[in-house]
Amino acid sequence: MRKMNLHEGIPARLVLMGCALVMLASADLRSAALMSGMVLLTTLLSSVTLSAISKFIPKGARLPAGVLVITGFVSLLDMLAQAFFPVSANMLGVHLAALAASPVLFWVGEGAEDQGEALAVRTALTTALFLAAATMVCALIREPLGCATIWGHPIGFLENVKIPILADTFGGYLVLAVVVAILNAVTAGKKEAAK
Amino acid sequence: MDFVKSALSLILVVAVFTGAMFGLNFYTGPLVEANQAGNALAPLLAVMPEGSAFGADALVYDASDAAASGLTDVAATVLKIYREANGAGYAVQCSTEGNYSGEPMSLTFGVDAEGKICGIQVDTYTDSIDVRTKDADFLPSFVGQDSTLADVGLVAGCTFSSSSIRNSVLAAMESLTANGLVSAGVKTPAQLLTELIPTVAPGMAQEGNLKATAIDASGSAEQAFQADNGTGFAYILKDGDNEYLAVVNAMGMCALYDVDGNAVSNDALAREAAAMAAGTQKDFTSAAETKLSRMYENAADVTPLTLDTFGTVVYAASFTNEGETYYLFYSRSVGFDQMDVYVVLDANGAIAKVDAKQLFFETDYFPVDDTVDQPAYKAGFNGMTADSFPADAGVIAGATMTSNAVRLAISDAFAAFGQIQNGGK
Repeated sequence: MRKMNLHEGIPARLVLMGCALVMLASADLRSAALMSGMVLLTTLLSSVTLSAISKFIPKGARLPAGVLVITGFVSLLDMLAQAFFPVSANMLGVHLAALAASPVLFWVGEGAEDQGEALAVRTALTTALFLAAATMVCALIREPLGCATIWGHPIGFLENVKIPILADTFGGYLVLAVVVAILNAVTAGKKEAAK
Repeated sequence: MDFVKSALSLILVVAVFTGAMFGLNFYTGPLVEANQAGNALAPLLAVMPEGSAFGADALVYDASDAAASGLTDVAATVLKIYREANGAGYAVQCSTEGNYSGEPMSLTFGVDAEGKICGIQVDTYTDSIDVRTKDADFLPSFVGQDSTLADVGLVAGCTFSSSSIRNSVLAAMESLTANGLVSAGVKTPAQLLTELIPTVAPGMAQEGNLKATAIDASGSAEQAFQADNGTGFAYILKDGDNEYLAVVNAMGMCALYDVDGNAVSNDALAREAAAMAAGTQKDFTSAAETKLSRMYENAADVTPLTLDTFGTVVYAASFTNEGETYYLFYSRSVGFDQMDVYVVLDANGAIAKVDAKQLFFETDYFPVDDTVDQPAYKAGFNGMTADSFPADAGVIAGATMTSNAVRLAISDAFAAFGQIQNGGK
């Protein structure tokens, strides 16, 4: 069974797989919140579903089945996001639908096929919450300092000192790298203890 | 068997999710459509009073299909006109022309049922300096204005941008009033007289737009303007119940006009205006005569002239050189930047010499001067008269503004000479 315990240290593979969606969604808190919610619900629903139906699907069809389930849930959630959160959905644009091709979701879904429902839920929640936390922290740094706004509302005293590059792609990777480095430093002790 | 089971399971998964999306679409589809419609109408609602709404048939005029609207004489800068659903007025989307970058800007403004502007926003801004940050009160000054835009001025340092926005809104308002959609505002005498300045004192304007700064007014003057290029002053004077426009050129001569644009005679007002101007008018005599001494080393009998011209000529003088009589005209025309152009005409009105303090500006970014033989360019005007001045004389590719300023200076010099010949002072 595959387990992922975040308290033992940063799962480097997870960071690598999820960095694109974290970077794309964290330019604004509103888009970060929506993307975090989408990742959480998608991983949860697809993990539970794949865990439940894995017994009935032949081994050779599990990969395409996983793709279809993840894509299906992303599409359904995308429709709900377009209807109820149009501002945030417009900010994310095609990246919301492209979540269906995220390596993180496939990694979680693939692991869920071999796990019981309880462990699948735990893994999905742990993964999604970690990515959501990373996305929101990055957004809390990028939006105020890059755009001088918070949740779309202007912050007057930051207007003259904002760093526009933080709102761009390069800035996104920069902030994510700094956040991950800090997290790594904080959890390094626990990782050593676990070893 | 495994193959069949695999295929069936995949088909089942597809069918389940397809059904789910099909069903969910009945619920979310209308919401998404409403959101998209809201996005399209957001710029319109932003400029209208709260509670406004635009129905499916709100579009009254679309420039891409003008014939379908039934409206006539709609300005080319008007893109779309929308009618508010509850009779609260109209929202107009228009573009600008003649702004600094040449790339049209787009803006939206709302007009209420009484014909007054209730909101305005610039949707796309293309000029290098943002007029909204240069003067935060510029756009708000449109709110409450009727079709005359009486209290909307221009922004110093963003003259082209603010002028193009103002002209675009003015043209759109004229289109609305011409088609009876809103009632026309009535211009005040002061506004009519202010609008007259570029016509009677073209030296204070550029391409028909007044290029002057409002200064403190005193005495009979309700408003006073000083030309940015130093060519003179304009005063809106009140005499009893009547208002007049007094324009004073750099040589101290004054002309008076009424609200209908007719020249009038009122010595007291003219003296008052000339006196106000004299206290502030820059004297160009020293600069002109210094330049003359360089252009003609043996210039003698320099006699300043006082002319009734209101173009860009700020100083005129007659002089002799080697027994011949010439006339110097110092022009402060505006090209890419403020220019100082000196035109010398002989006794027959033919160009003897043309010179300028500086022809080209910002040469690091506009290296036109590398391709122009400046002495040859200036000498190319020699011998031309007012009658034989070609329409393309002096045109420099890539330096249109400079070319036009030089041509304007020469044209104004010819006009000033014509006044001398016709017995002008």
